[in-house]
Amino acid sequence: MASLIHCPHCGVRPKEEFSIRGDASLVRPDPEASDEAWHEYVHIRANPRGRYLEHWQHVAGCRRWLVVERDTFTHQVFSVTDGAAAARGTSR
Amino acid sequence: MTTTYISRHPLEDRLPLEPGIRAVDHLEVPRGKAIATVMAMDGEEAAVAAGLAASGDVSVRFVAPGEWLAISQSDTPEVLHRNLSLLLAEAAYIFDQSDGRVVFRLSGPNVRRILAKGVGIDLHASAFEIGTSSNVLCGHISVNLARSGENEFELIVMRSFAESLFDDLRAMGREFDLSADFAAEG
Repeated sequence: MASLIHCPHCGVRPKEEFSIRGDASLVRPDPEASDEAWHEYVHIRANPRGRYLEHWQHVAGCRRWLVVERDTFTHQVFSVTDGAAAARGTSR
Repeated sequence: MTTTYISRHPLEDRLPLEPGIRAVDHLEVPRGKAIATVMAMDGEEAAVAAGLAASGDVSVRFVAPGEWLAISQSDTPEVLHRNLSLLLAEAAYIFDQSDGRVVFRLSGPNVRRILAKGVGIDLHASAFEIGTSSNVLCGHISVNLARSGENEFELIVMRSFAESLFDDLRAMGREFDLSADFAAEG
């Protein structure tokens, strides 16, 4: 259930403690990139049915940003990682 | 020009100044606790955690990775700040929060059932041991919850939320006839 998120710092928490920012798989384009690339990055979002990477912030808990991998259809949560660690992993 | 500010507890209008009659389940509001936020500098998290663990009189509450609340009953805010600064110099940032936070102490056989009305985490002793602490949502207010005994919990909340949390806790405890007063020690 997506209503319980396993925060890597605080443990199992209800979803009410979090706020959701959205897609975590976006990569910011180069500053010199084309207008189309920026338009795509800023405005265009997929609405997938299935696995989805999202940024969740544990606002009422440790206040850390987390990357939550979940299924938008079954609400199953596959993984939760700290945002900083995830960013380091993909060297962004 | 120097200004003298008067230290005033946010619940002074809501609670009798003298300790009253205690019910089985009791909400106690300690005054005059020294509280400080300790934030580890980048890469110093483990060193700060070890330093705080060895700080003796100070009780340490986990807030977030690299961030803690340090609470002292006996020290004044100035002394706590100085001691922590000496202990953790060059490893952590320390901020006095004594007037910025309010401490609530819930005790009694029904505390877990009272807290279950507002807190969405497992508070059984096997999941939330004595001495553990964490930030949780209580109702709609984010508090730092710590287990200080088998049937005793401490909640630390930002000052501006104290009255609201107080009302919530009283409502949560009404079923168990929860009593409330300021702690006798100060």
